[in-house]
Amino acid sequence: MARCGIAAALLLLACRLAAAWLGGGLEMPATTTGDGSLYTLNRYFAGPRPDIVLVGSSLTFRLNEAYFASPSLRNIALAGGSPVTGLAIVAHQAPPPKIILVETNVLSRPVDETVVERYATGASAEPKFLRPIRALVAAAENFAHEPPSRDQLQAELDRLVAEQPSSFDNNVYLARVLREQDEDPSAIVRANVERLKELMALAEQKGARVLLFELPELPEVERARAVGITRAIVHAAFPNDDRWIHVDVPREQLRWADAFHLDERSAVIFARAMDKSIAALGAR
Amino acid sequence: MTFTSWQFGVFAAIVFVLYYLPALKAFQVQVLVAASLFFYGYGQPELLPLLAVAVLGTYLLLALALENRRLWLPIGIAFNLALLAFFKYKFLFLDAHAPQLSSIAPIDFLLKLPLPVGISFFVFHNISLLVDLTRQKAGRPTLTAVFLYIIFFPQLVSGPITRAENFLPQIKPKYLADVAFIDAAKWIVSGYFFKLYVANNLNEFTSYMDFPHYETLQPTDRWLLVILYGYQIYADFFGYTAIAIGLGLLFGYRLPINFNLPYISASFSEFWTRWHISLSNWLRTYLYIPLGGNRYGTFRTYLNLMIVMGLGGLWHGAALSYLLWGSLHGLLLVIERPLLGRLNKIDSTVLRMMRIALVFFCVTMLWIFFKLPNFDHALDYISGMFMPGKNPNPPKLFYALALLYALPVILQHLRFDLLMEGRLKKWEPYLYGLMLALSYLEAGPETSFIYFQF
Repeated sequence: MARCGIAAALLLLACRLAAAWLGGGLEMPATTTGDGSLYTLNRYFAGPRPDIVLVGSSLTFRLNEAYFASPSLRNIALAGGSPVTGLAIVAHQAPPPKIILVETNVLSRPVDETVVERYATGASAEPKFLRPIRALVAAAENFAHEPPSRDQLQAELDRLVAEQPSSFDNNVYLARVLREQDEDPSAIVRANVERLKELMALAEQKGARVLLFELPELPEVERARAVGITRAIVHAAFPNDDRWIHVDVPREQLRWADAFHLDERSAVIFARAMDKSIAALGAR
Repeated sequence: MTFTSWQFGVFAAIVFVLYYLPALKAFQVQVLVAASLFFYGYGQPELLPLLAVAVLGTYLLLALALENRRLWLPIGIAFNLALLAFFKYKFLFLDAHAPQLSSIAPIDFLLKLPLPVGISFFVFHNISLLVDLTRQKAGRPTLTAVFLYIIFFPQLVSGPITRAENFLPQIKPKYLADVAFIDAAKWIVSGYFFKLYVANNLNEFTSYMDFPHYETLQPTDRWLLVILYGYQIYADFFGYTAIAIGLGLLFGYRLPINFNLPYISASFSEFWTRWHISLSNWLRTYLYIPLGGNRYGTFRTYLNLMIVMGLGGLWHGAALSYLLWGSLHGLLLVIERPLLGRLNKIDSTVLRMMRIALVFFCVTMLWIFFKLPNFDHALDYISGMFMPGKNPNPPKLFYALALLYALPVILQHLRFDLLMEGRLKKWEPYLYGLMLALSYLEAGPETSFIYFQF
């Protein structure tokens, strides 16, 4: 029993020391969206404060940072989460990023107070112990799949955008999305909008510029009850145009494979269009 | 209170200390009964009266059946099966979401009760008690002993299903000096390792088998996940049972082994002597043999096999998928039966490997009906295993990670334990230490034991 205890203690100690030494050095393989969100937030806090940050739900999660021209843009949208959670996290930073872009498509989820509290100090919530198996796989993945250079990546994205839009038939998913969006989320949307206002004021007091944006959806989804109600409440609360960043994107080029989230090509197109809108902000 | 919660750890430690306190030596059985009631009622105290009704009702019927077996034994069995059937299958006929199911408040309360945890298991214990003791014409055990047999907390929720004739004789004073600490520790560490490291992590992958996520999977990933689910359900259930056996040893009770490397079975009948052994034994003893077993000719034997396996499937849940799962296992047993004699006579390693692969393949495919109890979803999943998916956003699965999490199951079935008993014996404690540490370091996200839902 003693040898068993010693072996366990030694491995725990080794992993504790390794975690302290490596920190967020290895990007662990995320097997779920929950994992992915936590790694995203940990990476955000481990690095230098960016100039621009995107907060949102899984819709915004699809806008990979690599799609944007600016190297100082971070996307901490939480798949399965609320934009208000992300805003709560960055608004408490001192100082917050210069520009905070907030998605307003999905405001029917409550704020995840556990996550907000976890990151409230602004410190990365890296686990205290290294996970040896995941670290081994992460190291192997990094070794086997060296990330492409920025030029290679841009060339790949250019190739993707040059392709024809997908012809995938998503009618089954559309029917499902329309069923899910056939409810009245007024109560929670109103509560989230109020919280949004408070957090926006807090961030702006600290010198940030906070702007709202909407991701385009399928026309049928945009006419769905929950989407319509959310939009009406949000636009009534934020009627001024200077509260918004408008992204001019060729909608006929966009596709939503699951009828709700932009596919990869469409996400690249949207991100590039958003880049132009962000650049134009400097002139405003 | 789940085995993997810290609350359970505190609870078990306290019970262990109280159990062996000299001042409470004369009340060991009572201590365990009280602890088991606390364990069962924790979080769902409204189910305690049901448990009391089941145990007291069975005890009363046992007393009557010991006097008149012919009359009261069938009634006792029917009482327990009625309890099981009511709670397990009522929502086939009622709408669980309806605000009111009856205008009579007590009946409405009963109808709305959720499926009591462990009911499938303690009902089977009750039936075993009734049949075994009345067959032996044994003296009536005390109510406390009966309570302990039925609700002993390590086995209460998901077994192993212990026969009364094996458990009751073990009820006697227990001494700390006699506790098999090393054995208990090995079982408990193995159990937590298989549950936390293997099953909980594999669950992250197999969650993509749920509807609608599986629609994004390519065929190769569907096949991979089916295999991973086979490993997950084994690790999950083996893990639970190992913890139960280890805990039983700490309190001086030997619970039956429930698994014996099921995935090296070379036939389906062999599989059922290696998988959920206590359930197989129960079904054979209390259902298959009373139905006639193989004593009434070929056709009747096949019929009995189909009935037993079909009911065994339904025992798991009120869904067509479970019935189909059980019936298909029955069909496989029927198909292989005439061939078994000849196949077993052939001494060929290659043939044995092929048979093992075939059994593994069939068993694994049938787990789909477990994972997807909705029959349409199960069929949809299976059809997608043979047709390329068109969804342009398949999820990324880390195959290396999946292999590393599944590896303990594979190594266990390759008889890694023989190495541990041989040349590597001196390294065994370190291996358990490694498993203990990995159970913490690499514990997957919390997920309840799969068999808790039955």
